[in-house]
Amino acid sequence: MIISLDKKIFSEAVHTVARFAERKSGTLPVLSSILILAGDEGIKLRATNLETGIDLKLEGTCTTKGVVAVPAVVLQQIAGSLTNEGSITLEHTGDILSLSSGTGKSSIKTIPYDDFPSIPFPENPKNRIILPGIILKNLFTTIASCASSSTIRPELSSIYLSIEGGVLTAVATDSFRLAEKKVPLTNKGTQGKFLIPAKNALDIAQALPDDDIIISFDEHQCAFVSQGGMLVSRLTNATYPDYRQIIPKESVVEAVILRKDFETALKRTTIFSDAFQKIRISFDQKKNKFILFARNTDIGESTETISANISGTALDLSFNHRYLSAVLALTNAESLSLLAAGIGRPLIIKGVGDTSLLYLVSPMNQ
Amino acid sequence: MDKGNPKELWEYILTQVELSVSPANFNTWFRNSFIVKIEDGVIYVGVPSQFFKDWYLKKFHTLLLKIVRDISYEFRNIEYLIVKDERRKVQKEVKNTRGVLELPLDEFYINKSDSLNPRYTFDTFVIGSFNNLAYAAAQAVLTRPGITYNPLFIYGDTGRGKTHLIQAIGNQYKKQYPGRKAFYLTSEKFTIDYTDSVQAGTANRFKDKYRQYDLLIMDDVQFLSKKLKTEEELFHLFNTLHDTNKQIIFSSDRAPAAIPDIADRLKGRLASGMTIDIGEPDPESRMAIVKRKAASHGVMLSDEVVEYVATTMSGSIRELEGMVNNLICHAQVKGFAPDILEVRQSLRSFTRPQKTISVKNVVDKVASFYGIDEESIYEKTRRREVVRPRQVIMYILREDFNISYPTIGTKLGGRDHTTVIHSCEKIKREVVVDTDLAKEIQNIRTLLV
Repeated sequence: MIISLDKKIFSEAVHTVARFAERKSGTLPVLSSILILAGDEGIKLRATNLETGIDLKLEGTCTTKGVVAVPAVVLQQIAGSLTNEGSITLEHTGDILSLSSGTGKSSIKTIPYDDFPSIPFPENPKNRIILPGIILKNLFTTIASCASSSTIRPELSSIYLSIEGGVLTAVATDSFRLAEKKVPLTNKGTQGKFLIPAKNALDIAQALPDDDIIISFDEHQCAFVSQGGMLVSRLTNATYPDYRQIIPKESVVEAVILRKDFETALKRTTIFSDAFQKIRISFDQKKNKFILFARNTDIGESTETISANISGTALDLSFNHRYLSAVLALTNAESLSLLAAGIGRPLIIKGVGDTSLLYLVSPMNQ
Repeated sequence: MDKGNPKELWEYILTQVELSVSPANFNTWFRNSFIVKIEDGVIYVGVPSQFFKDWYLKKFHTLLLKIVRDISYEFRNIEYLIVKDERRKVQKEVKNTRGVLELPLDEFYINKSDSLNPRYTFDTFVIGSFNNLAYAAAQAVLTRPGITYNPLFIYGDTGRGKTHLIQAIGNQYKKQYPGRKAFYLTSEKFTIDYTDSVQAGTANRFKDKYRQYDLLIMDDVQFLSKKLKTEEELFHLFNTLHDTNKQIIFSSDRAPAAIPDIADRLKGRLASGMTIDIGEPDPESRMAIVKRKAASHGVMLSDEVVEYVATTMSGSIRELEGMVNNLICHAQVKGFAPDILEVRQSLRSFTRPQKTISVKNVVDKVASFYGIDEESIYEKTRRREVVRPRQVIMYILREDFNISYPTIGTKLGGRDHTTVIHSCEKIKREVVVDTDLAKEIQNIRTLLV
């Protein structure tokens, strides 16, 4: 195999693909390597860790066809060290892959590629939607942090995606807070729902191109196909809890506050939060104030008063401050609307003018 | 290994797979898989994701199929299912305990109300030429209990299946006539019961107890000899049951007339119905028994092994079963049915010790057995009473002690090795048809041990 391609393209592609290679040792050596294919379909890089997989097409010239597998770590390090413009030539002879670029030449020992698994495409790719990659990327990166990091309940460490009536709804929860984001779709026909592991979604988001991608899925597998290649992930095979049940239908008090006020106030109050990271918020409808309060017996205490538009009855609630600040990453809205349904009931946070987001956080015991 | 148990089957498959793939491959592909279910000969293997499913189909399907086919041909195919994450988790936590060697409790289960062991049924009873008469009589008794053959007296040497047959009658009787009462006991139990009741002064209750049964099965009546009072009690019980057309079945190791020290009036009554002898099982029946026994434990033995087992052990079926049990145990420990070499190895303890023995010793024993002069064996005489023993000696030397034909020839007065071959073949042929000869050789063998 002899191929030559642009250094920049090569190093970007290697960085993208290496993310999908198996990082744990002890498994098949070929799983922690990148498969380079040069054939009729052009130059392709492949990697999989059996959870997710990537098949990336590269632009370049292919002189001789061939297949070779090289350790991802080595290739990644080489790609990271490439400087200057120009092209790189990869030549495979025997069990050695030689990389030559400009003045340097390195030879890497290859790995037998017979055991490299095939990257499975959904068996019945009937369910498909088209979405700009940038939106999906944004969706996954923001919402994935709300999913549980523990693997005890696989459904909670996944993002729930449901497509209904031309809207893609993504939900993530770790049972303390929940984020729901909606994205309108151009093609309205498709319906369906699936659970993608949040970890896989993050990996995929990093590798997604900005242009349109086709998402197709079946019961066990989903694929993100774009011009530049294909990404696949296994799906979580579990039932997602009926999260709509826990969203309070009515509220007793609503506060509308400026995002930047809330952000700075929260930042300062957080310093005084206790070992449980507790912050108390108060709705004062008489003075139209929204108050954040925290007390730490070792440090001291702090009160922040923000002017707000309060409608409803006065109410005090306590929250983990991390769950409150998480909402800031989810929306870009200038103002936030906080709706409380009473003591011991969850608080809903929405961006004013941003209907796509619904964030729900459970209060701590007083 | 239990073929029906998915866990055990999968464990066995894994041990086989481990041999054929690299450890890295094994860890990557087989760690998180398991058998979900086995249905209609199709094994459903649960795998974590599509990656696995595709790869199993592509790489491991033929290997797995070969392994399961080796276990049993009843497995038609393997299918792969992607299983729910929750199920996978549970599966991981469950530690496989080694329950393989533990016999299921029902093997020892005995019904308290009638003392019948449900393990003994006609389904597991092997019928051959040696016992088909007894079997036919048993069936006749079942169709018209109390009338056709009453009492039914079955006798035969130990380990011929008497107990199995009479218990099977009892079990079948219960099934056919649900309202009626059957009872199985040994004569020893009867004796103890009687002496106890006499001691406790409840002899009348004892009488009533046994008179209520519609079918009474008494095993090993020969042990009643010399127990005069018990015999008398049985005599009365017999009369009562017989008069009311209740079926009675006896078993013994010898014919009624041959039971020593038993009252004549009882002897006559024992023989008054149908008296049937269960003979020695022929080789074919023995093979069938071995096969049936092994199959009932889910072990498939090759024909070669079956034949070896059936022919090595002569006489008692019980010993034969012991041998089969030994093989089954081996199969369960190792996870596969043993081949002929292993069988030879493991059954060495059952077979006669292959000790070296002087030709002189054999000649000595055989000559004294036939009551002829030892010297005449070595002479070139062709008298009939000498020829047969000489041939038997050659046969035994060859079969039991593996001495070469020429050596046998030289030792027995310088005969040609072809003569020896001829003699051995002749006896071998005759021993199959001539039961007297077979018995003689059997007796000689016991002398030689």
